[in-house]
Amino acid sequence: MRSLFRLLSPTRIAAKPPSVQRDSVGLVLADGRRIDVLRVRDPRARRIKLSVDERGARLTLPLRASLVAGDRFLHAHRDWLARQLAVHASEPRHNLARDATAALPLRGADVPLRWADGRATRVEVDAGGGLVFAAPARAGDAALRRALRDFYEAQGRTDVGRWLPGYLPELPRAPRRIVFKRTTSLWGSLAPDGTLALDLALVLARPAAFEYVLVHELCHLLHADHSPRFWAAVEARFPGWREERRYFHAEGRALKARLRQLLAG
Amino acid sequence: MFFRNLTLFRFPTTLDLADLESHLAECALKPVGPLELSSRGFVPPMGQHGDALSHAIAPSTWITVGGEDKLLPGAVVNDLLQKKLAAIEDKEGRKPGGRTRKRLKDELVMELLPRAFVRPVRTDALLDGGLGVIAVDTSSRKSAEAVVSEVRRALGSFPALPLNAEVAPRAILTGWVAGDALPDGLSLGDECELRDPADTGAVVKVQRMELSGEEIAKHLEAGKQVTRLALVLDDHVSFVVGEDLVVRKFKLLDGAVDQLESSDREDVAAELDARFALMAGEFKRLFAVLEQAFKLSKAE
Repeated sequence: MRSLFRLLSPTRIAAKPPSVQRDSVGLVLADGRRIDVLRVRDPRARRIKLSVDERGARLTLPLRASLVAGDRFLHAHRDWLARQLAVHASEPRHNLARDATAALPLRGADVPLRWADGRATRVEVDAGGGLVFAAPARAGDAALRRALRDFYEAQGRTDVGRWLPGYLPELPRAPRRIVFKRTTSLWGSLAPDGTLALDLALVLARPAAFEYVLVHELCHLLHADHSPRFWAAVEARFPGWREERRYFHAEGRALKARLRQLLAG
Repeated sequence: MFFRNLTLFRFPTTLDLADLESHLAECALKPVGPLELSSRGFVPPMGQHGDALSHAIAPSTWITVGGEDKLLPGAVVNDLLQKKLAAIEDKEGRKPGGRTRKRLKDELVMELLPRAFVRPVRTDALLDGGLGVIAVDTSSRKSAEAVVSEVRRALGSFPALPLNAEVAPRAILTGWVAGDALPDGLSLGDECELRDPADTGAVVKVQRMELSGEEIAKHLEAGKQVTRLALVLDDHVSFVVGEDLVVRKFKLLDGAVDQLESSDREDVAAELDARFALMAGEFKRLFAVLEQAFKLSKAE
């Protein structure tokens, strides 16, 4: 219910900006299979887009595109969609399952995982460099996922804590704070208030790639754009950045998908 | 003057704080002007009992950011603005446009500001050059960052970073309640907050309760994790530390304060000096424990 004060107030209230709307649309493929496609109307979208990942198919519509145009686009790309779904269906799933998951991705490698009983839920690195997932018998999937997320964030902070001081002296200021988030497409961002956000999936990537993203974002403290001056600053601090960018182009989607599967609710 | 909360930042121990007093003097608090909303600057930490803008007991330094805020409630401005707009509408037979509204609002603010109450504020901070830590006496990250910004403005460069724990604080706090060995000198207090890991999961807050009891164990077995925990260090300091690594309810206990009260001092400045020395010492011991337990990254 809107507050009484707002209803009585003669002050004009600005119109609410359009928000992202989601629904589902059915589609019959050429082989007779019926699938559900997630239809998303996104005010930021500039064109109709059909994409597929391990979660299924997604049709993105700009604010003013008609539903009919969306359906037409979907049907026109039906065969492509079937091929992509087949590719993703053949890829292995990496869900987190107690006593079944035998390895976890970390810093570009799969690290062996051992499950153990414990009074509290947590993931630790053991003396041999492997991982131990301790959890009480009653701990649910949400508790396991949260513990894994905390572990990955701690590992990310370990890496950042090791690299960051080396880059600070040449920067005009330090980041205001550093947060780890799960992002869809970005790997990092620097907000105007100095908050440096990093994608949690970076912990799964090889360390050099993670360090490149950190350097990239730190250089935005010098130049808040992607101008030649910005890239020169990146080059001076991290000469191998092109190689790491290629790595993200090749492996980025898989890294994000793997983290999504491990932490999916 | 004992701090109640500690929001911590790290800075390189190589930072030169020798000229701190002169730098602070350049950014001393100026009274808020008649047409200003607020002002910030450094004030003497000892208030009326000392003129220096910093009080050092090496390697710790006590500084204070003071401020004056004008109190101008938005509801008051909006009410007067509506009356003015209604008068214009009656007179001209049309609703004033957005530009007029904005101009009228600016005029009203300018008219009301000189008559507004001024509220003084102060936030204390402890700079430990040896540890490379600044502890701000607030639990609000925003206020703490405002103090760090003031120090940065005064020094020109102050690369202070928020604390960075290389282990998950939740895991450590949960482990301590679950029975893991606590660091030397640390013991469990009687307060904690447990959260269900699901995004909108249950939150359990307990106070004045035995944390090693059966009820808490049941919550842990169900997968809840500790997000805030009361601890006691050597019967000298009690505090609550959260997963955000902010220390709340920081309190020196009788074991520490007894040392203070046993000595004789005549003036208030000497009393404040002794209290600061005591607190700085206890803070140093507390930080050493936290640094090791949470594997806090250094800033160099």
